Amino acid sequence: MTTSAMLCRERTRRFAGAVLAAAAGLWAALPPVADAAGTEAATGQRIFQEKCAACHTIGKGDLVGPDLKGVTAQRPRDWLERWIAAPDEMLAKRDPVATALLHRFRDVPMPNLHLDAAEVAAVLAYLATSTTGTPAAAAGAPAVVAAGDPENGKKLFVGSARFRNGGPPCMACHSAGGIGALGGGQLGPDLTNVVQRFGGASALSVFVGSSPTPTMNAIWLRAPLTPGERADVVAFLAQAPVSERPVQAIWHLAGLSALGLAILLGISGWIWRRRLRDGVRRPMIAGQRSARG
Amino acid sequence: MRIRSHMAMIFHLDKCIGCHTCTVACKNIWTDRKGAEYMYWNNVETKPGTGYPTRWEDQNKYRGGWVLDPKKNRLRLRLQGKWGTLGNIFYNPYLPTLDDYFEPWTYDYQNLFDAPEGDDQPTARAVSMITGKYMDTIEAGPNWDDDLSGSQVYANNDPNLDNATEEERRQMEEIDRTVFFYLPRICNHCLNPGCVAACPAGAIYKRGEDGIVLVNQDRCRAWRMCISGCPYKKTYFNWATGKAEKCILCYPRLESGQPPACFHSCVGRIRYVGLLLYDADRIEQAATAPDGALVQAQRDVIQDPHDPAVIAAAKASGIPDAKIDAAQHSPVYQFVKAWNLALPLHPEFRTLPMLFYVPPLGPVLAKMDRGVYDIVDAASGGLAPMMSALEKSRVPLRYMASLLSAGNEHVIRDVYHKLMAVRVYMRAKKVKDVPAAEVAKALAEGHTNAQEVEAIYRLTSLPTFEERFVVPAMERETAVEDLFPALDPIARNYPTRKGEVGFGFRNDPHRGL
Repeated sequence: MTTSAMLCRERTRRFAGAVLAAAAGLWAALPPVADAAGTEAATGQRIFQEKCAACHTIGKGDLVGPDLKGVTAQRPRDWLERWIAAPDEMLAKRDPVATALLHRFRDVPMPNLHLDAAEVAAVLAYLATSTTGTPAAAAGAPAVVAAGDPENGKKLFVGSARFRNGGPPCMACHSAGGIGALGGGQLGPDLTNVVQRFGGASALSVFVGSSPTPTMNAIWLRAPLTPGERADVVAFLAQAPVSERPVQAIWHLAGLSALGLAILLGISGWIWRRRLRDGVRRPMIAGQRSARG
Repeated sequence: MRIRSHMAMIFHLDKCIGCHTCTVACKNIWTDRKGAEYMYWNNVETKPGTGYPTRWEDQNKYRGGWVLDPKKNRLRLRLQGKWGTLGNIFYNPYLPTLDDYFEPWTYDYQNLFDAPEGDDQPTARAVSMITGKYMDTIEAGPNWDDDLSGSQVYANNDPNLDNATEEERRQMEEIDRTVFFYLPRICNHCLNPGCVAACPAGAIYKRGEDGIVLVNQDRCRAWRMCISGCPYKKTYFNWATGKAEKCILCYPRLESGQPPACFHSCVGRIRYVGLLLYDADRIEQAATAPDGALVQAQRDVIQDPHDPAVIAAAKASGIPDAKIDAAQHSPVYQFVKAWNLALPLHPEFRTLPMLFYVPPLGPVLAKMDRGVYDIVDAASGGLAPMMSALEKSRVPLRYMASLLSAGNEHVIRDVYHKLMAVRVYMRAKKVKDVPAAEVAKALAEGHTNAQEVEAIYRLTSLPTFEERFVVPAMERETAVEDLFPALDPIARNYPTRKGEVGFGFRNDPHRGL
């Protein structure tokens, strides 16, 4: 058996173990006898922990997104249903409330979490059970993130150091300032300035830790970052010189491309320099004429 | 033994009068289109001459055909291998330029009607059919060196003369001794085609049932490697459609029982078409034979259609009875294999061409005598003067060998001895002025007998239309069924092997099947 196959099996086992443990914990947390609404709220709580808590709190202040305490009283239920089910569509339709929220939260749009109607109902049930009332205004910063090493974060970002659990380097999908003129992948958004956009390093750290977007989830659920790695990456992204992607990078890139093109053209022009002079008929006739004098 | 059938061809060069009727027939049917103006799928060249495109036989320049790797005894394309194809994929450096073909033109005839009144007669100036601009000097045409034997430029640059001695060259240029003959050329539909091997897109294929080599227009990607890969320069690039094109041996005509148009229209009746049965297992062996043995190796690929074992093998590989019958009556089999008279053009390119030429006797044996041009004949003393004329012929045997037998003069000499035997025998029979001993000597010299000579005479001079063109029912339906046994119009599971990928031509949706 190859090492990679063994590793793979090992990972699968670890993952299965984690799922089992989570399920057991959930089972223990549930009241033994629960009415229908209680069950729904419990499901909602689980979904909230999995998918919403990266950006939202209940009663602990704004993170990437707003504090959701009392939100069911604040907004009409059908608006909440539509918003939770498909925030991207509502933003595309320029819903006034949604647009206002988007601007308020530094233009970081809420991703579509692909919840079905039952799951949306469950989340709403959970939100309704949480204490009603106005959200705590500026309820203190969430737990302070451990300071990471930006140098190591950069290495992890560009892939010169590996993530311990085998996740791909961030650069595979994302670009950011400070990683060279060629930048990174284009699948995910450019992460330059991401710390400002997410409202601080701690919010970003929470987001990276639980990665609620479907693409991120697909990767990081299987190969989660260790807390130290997370801190390092966030520290790298928070680094002062990174916050602005230098404009010269583009010119660098353009210059490199132009130079490369010129060199290639030069080489091919030199190799095939005789291509149009090298017909057969013309030289043959010309040679005969000159031979005759 | 894997027997397949092949539509093969004979051109009897002694009968070609260089009238270009074949070229005109082909041009009018197939290449009278935009982008194809410069193409001549059929052309007639004057030999010695440089041909079309200029010096096409010069493979140092054009890199066509195969070369034998002596160490591994394997063939490789002279053009390039896989890495070379990759490296040159966007620019093939071994193509003929348009100037090496010629820039096609027409004339501004309308000016003859529309010109304003003036002091001079209006003229129809030449107009390029590619740029649409006036061409003040026309420097080349598809047949620019027609009849220009002895020309310092054209005849002298014939690549077949590269090995000629100074004396041979001088002899060919002498007044009253200059000599030429015609060489009509179409695609040879080779058994081991260089164009097919060179195509990176896999667009060219050889039909198994009749050997016709075709370019799939849907799959062609315009890399133009086939043009270099073909040593005969018989694939062309259509600059309007961006696809390669070549002679299709008029397969729509063949499939409806007619000979190809150039064959049908031939005034001198030099052309013969018929089926050959060949053993596909021997192709590689024949293509890798040493230079001197190439002609014989190719003859060995062709199988006797009367041999019961061959017939059984042919039936086993699904060749219908009608085709076996046609192969037994094939004039091509007679000339190529039964009589060993017809030779492939430039067998040293190792593509195993399936178009065979009977070498011309006229330019070799004829001379001017007291103002009369005639073949040195049995009348003036039987075989001896012909034999000496052969050795001192105006077209050196070395030249004919370079053209038709990969430099092997024995092969050419054998063919000429047999042709001379026919001549002497028929002279004795018709004019009765040759002694019987001379006739017997000629027959012995030509390794032939009276019966065979009669048959050669009959098929050379008196063949009927049906004897020259033996085209069986092509039974395309059986070939299609063989390829796609589960073909079903209801399920619409049509052939998808050829031309299913890529951009290709846009095909509009259409009704029905």
